[in-house]
Amino acid sequence: MKKVLIVIPAYNEEKNILRVYNSIMDYNKKNKTNYDVIVINDCSTDGTSEVCHKNDIPVVDLIHNLGIGGAVQTGYKYACYHDYDVAVQFDGDGQHDIRYVKDIVNPILEAKADMVIGSRFVEEKSTFKSTKARRVGIKIISAFMKFVTHKKIYDVTSGFRAINKEIIYDFALSYPNEYPEPITTAEILKKKYRVNEVAVEMKERIGGVSSIRAWKSAYYMMNVCLALLIIKTRRYKRCR
Amino acid sequence: MSLKLVLFMSLGAILLILLATYFLRKGRIPEKYALLWYVFALIILLFSVFPNVFYSLAKAFGFVIPSNMLMLALIAILFLLVMALTIMMAGQKKKSILLIQELSLQKLELDRIKRGNK
Repeated sequence: MKKVLIVIPAYNEEKNILRVYNSIMDYNKKNKTNYDVIVINDCSTDGTSEVCHKNDIPVVDLIHNLGIGGAVQTGYKYACYHDYDVAVQFDGDGQHDIRYVKDIVNPILEAKADMVIGSRFVEEKSTFKSTKARRVGIKIISAFMKFVTHKKIYDVTSGFRAINKEIIYDFALSYPNEYPEPITTAEILKKKYRVNEVAVEMKERIGGVSSIRAWKSAYYMMNVCLALLIIKTRRYKRCR
Repeated sequence: MSLKLVLFMSLGAILLILLATYFLRKGRIPEKYALLWYVFALIILLFSVFPNVFYSLAKAFGFVIPSNMLMLALIAILFLLVMALTIMMAGQKKKSILLIQELSLQKLELDRIKRGNK
């Protein structure tokens, strides 16, 4: 039986985290799956930690705020230490839907892909597609990604992804702290891993604030494009 | 150069040396950085005592106004220094992220062991 871990980075998600956790546990019961969960509490200033401990949700309380990249990497390190076969990154704010986890996990369990990205922009499943400005930004990053890796990835900033054991090890060793999703996707493609993109539905966040605020979108895009161009100039060891 | 300026620059250089020595004695900066400040101070001292060295150097590099060379050299040095600090800071940040992650993970494991033993 392959072990699957769902990594939930959470920063000030006291209103959402229990509901998200319960949705996963309900899903496990109904579908006879056994997805394990680890919440990475990125030094929240609200009651996220208390909610987790009170409800016996497995949680790593980071002793200092690290930001999204450092928090997610902690989850991958945990997966590494506990010998998981698949790790899924899953938002703690209710944006992602547990019903789609199997869609992004199965290609990895069947060894058809090394990384699977849950995408809002393939097959038009999702009604929520973020603001217009952000969509334009994603299109531009997507074009850069194609230029750097020669592969079209539509939802480059999606934080809903699954990776196999090899990539868990890779990410545990090094993971960027800022703009992790597009950067790691480009690096993984450069190392010749197989990356799939499957359609998922995402909901508008119910509480909390997105880590990418509207006015930050342009700045975010510029940094990501620069990072991608640098990746183009680097040489990567072929891993597959 | 006027005597006033010579005195002023020498004073500044001596102050720099004293400051570096002070922090060095307090153990606040490592020797290699103190050495850097000493070298700076000595160069300033050299130029203020022997301004002709400075003038001929500026002429050799094609500066019309010698003080422009001083400005450019200082800006260049500061630029490199800031760059070096940025690199060091990024390295420090990586290390602290690693420490925070490992410690937080170990705390969870320890907690589990403690609860398991009850």
